[in-house]
Amino acid sequence: MNKIGLVIQREYLSRVKKKSFIIMTLLGPLLFAGLMGVGIFAAVADSTEHKVLVVDKPGAISVYNEQLGAQVPACPDCFPERDDMLYRFTSEQLSDSAFMQSDYTMMIELYEGLYQHKNVNLYYKKIPSVMASSRVESDLESAVERAKVKQEGLIDYESYKRLKVNLAVNKVSIEKGDTFQEGRAGVGMFFAVIIFFFIFMFGAYVMRGVIEEKTSRIVEVIISSVRPIELMMGKIIGVGLVAITQVAIWVTFSLLIFFVAGLVFEAGLLNDTLALQQTGAAAPANADFETYLAQQDGISLLIEMNWPLVIGMFVIYFIGGYLIYASLFAAIGAVVDNETDTQQYMTPVMMPLFFSYLVAIMSVNNPEGLTAQVFSFIPLTSPTTMMVRVAVGSVQIWELVVSVILLFGTSYLLVWLAAKIYRTGILMYGKRPSYKELWKWMIYRS
Amino acid sequence: MNALDVKGISKSYADHKALKNVSFEVPQQSIFGLLGPNGAGKTSLIRIINRITGPDDGEILFFGENLHPEHVNHIGYLPEERGLYKKMKVGEQSLYLAQLKGLSKQEARKRLQHWFERLEIGDWWNKKVEELSKGMAQKIQFVTTVMHEPKLLILDEPFSGFDPINAAIVRKEIMRLRDEGSTVILSTHNMGSVEEICDHIALINRSELVLNGEVDEVRERFNKNEYLLKFKGNAVAFANSLWTQFELIDKHSDEDIHECIIKLGEGKTLNDLLVTIAPEVEIREVRPHIPSMNDIFIKAVQTETMEA
Repeated sequence: MNKIGLVIQREYLSRVKKKSFIIMTLLGPLLFAGLMGVGIFAAVADSTEHKVLVVDKPGAISVYNEQLGAQVPACPDCFPERDDMLYRFTSEQLSDSAFMQSDYTMMIELYEGLYQHKNVNLYYKKIPSVMASSRVESDLESAVERAKVKQEGLIDYESYKRLKVNLAVNKVSIEKGDTFQEGRAGVGMFFAVIIFFFIFMFGAYVMRGVIEEKTSRIVEVIISSVRPIELMMGKIIGVGLVAITQVAIWVTFSLLIFFVAGLVFEAGLLNDTLALQQTGAAAPANADFETYLAQQDGISLLIEMNWPLVIGMFVIYFIGGYLIYASLFAAIGAVVDNETDTQQYMTPVMMPLFFSYLVAIMSVNNPEGLTAQVFSFIPLTSPTTMMVRVAVGSVQIWELVVSVILLFGTSYLLVWLAAKIYRTGILMYGKRPSYKELWKWMIYRS
Repeated sequence: MNALDVKGISKSYADHKALKNVSFEVPQQSIFGLLGPNGAGKTSLIRIINRITGPDDGEILFFGENLHPEHVNHIGYLPEERGLYKKMKVGEQSLYLAQLKGLSKQEARKRLQHWFERLEIGDWWNKKVEELSKGMAQKIQFVTTVMHEPKLLILDEPFSGFDPINAAIVRKEIMRLRDEGSTVILSTHNMGSVEEICDHIALINRSELVLNGEVDEVRERFNKNEYLLKFKGNAVAFANSLWTQFELIDKHSDEDIHECIIKLGEGKTLNDLLVTIAPEVEIREVRPHIPSMNDIFIKAVQTETMEA
């Protein structure tokens, strides 16, 4: 094996064999699952008070009441007055801007031929929680069923089954018209957070590794066998592979948890199906997990995304961003004698890193805004910001190409400069160099 | 052919000149003492030989060839500031360092086992370095420096940190390695060990080479026709008898026995001295006074410093 290979191997094995790595790797997915559980809980249960305007132009479920001078539900019991959900009815179309200015949180629009196409649109200002939207859905379903029963006049069980309505509620954000943009940006943010978190954590590992070699004074022995840049790159690559291993195990684990949850869920569905069959009902067509998920709005956005692109760009931006910051961290490790001395040099590295995180958050709200566009080209911030934009799916190919070229060009340059600082720094003890001295080290020929 | 030809090496750092036009040869199969006070430029030179840094000017020939990256596999280097990975196991770490010097894993394991048995440290293989004492760690460092049987060994203060017993073991091993064909460059302040084991020396002071050659020859060069004389009798009468032909360099007395160093005047022999003083005192011992490496070191450095 060549020498850099040996360095990579040592850096990699000495870390993955550590107890802390094994524990973190096993606990990570559980932690994630816990966080996701909290997230799902937040999505399911919210305390917003909803005021829903039902625009019923065809008069499918409402009638005009002369006495009140207003449209009222044909079946008042279907829309009980609840503390957190009020319904109002109208036959007049409301313009988007009028809706925006009103105090309604949702607007339901019913069209002609509702009984046949079974589609309604739900417009919202802020995406409603799963609990709120499913309540609206079931209220509407029972109202439509009542209306149909009334229309048929006479009822037996077979007719009832024919009447049973499964409405498709299409959620449409009133602001953008793209139902899932915000969700996709959220997925992008998730990847941006992983990139940020891993750069932060594993960059610090690189730095600590360099400091360890320097303070234990083994570094001079090593660089009498390998070139300093080989030692530095071996460490950066070795630690990077540890990061990739951890991500890979986390993803595999999470998929496994997802899969097992799916099996449990399908077993549950199967029971329901059996119960239905016993009562003579037709089995619902959605007796598998994936189809079920596709019907859940929050999750269908995940299935709709351009995953190969998102994952591919994630890997590219992860590597590029890691190379940039890890080489800077390596240079810092080389110029100090111990970890407490790192503060002075950490600030200029941590600032762009945290800034990249903030810009990514801003981009979630406005992925095509000027800020997001500009910072998705700047290599110190592009790994996080561009991930959000890639996930949203609005990035042009040329933008990606330019951004990636800038990213890797910069990482090449920074690795080269860091190697120059590293080479000099690892053999210097005592006085911490000033930035002016660091500059001299960088321009000094070997 | 020499093991090493150092030709006109100069090296500057941002704010000072570390080496000025330094040249010397290290003969094959010798133990070569590289001497000099702290900050003289020894470490800079050693790093250039190890290809850790490059010279600004000059060249180095390794067994007649221009120094080349592959040559580092034939060099064993024990730096003055040395250490090991604290969290790594001794065996694992030794294997890693051996592989970095180009040995295969199997070969490295075989040689390490041999060395560990030799130095009776076999049961340390699975210990972590942080569990070892400083002396124990030094032994491991010595083994990892020599296990790839380098043609050239560079040892920077190899005896520091060892107790006298282990220092003796290491000294014996260094001489054995030389006898088996290795060339050794020894950088040290310990002049006793220089006299004991070095064949050649080079002395660097203030970035410049001030002295170099075979140890015996260098000492001969510093031999200024002086003799050590022990006698019993009247010291004043003795001093008077020397007159102008002999110079009293140093003198101290222990009860009635006097000891002094006499430098012979121009054209005078030891016989002349004995004839002159024999009537005055009772001579007990006479021998040539050759300066020790320690004296030479101090003298050379002081002369340099005064001139500068």
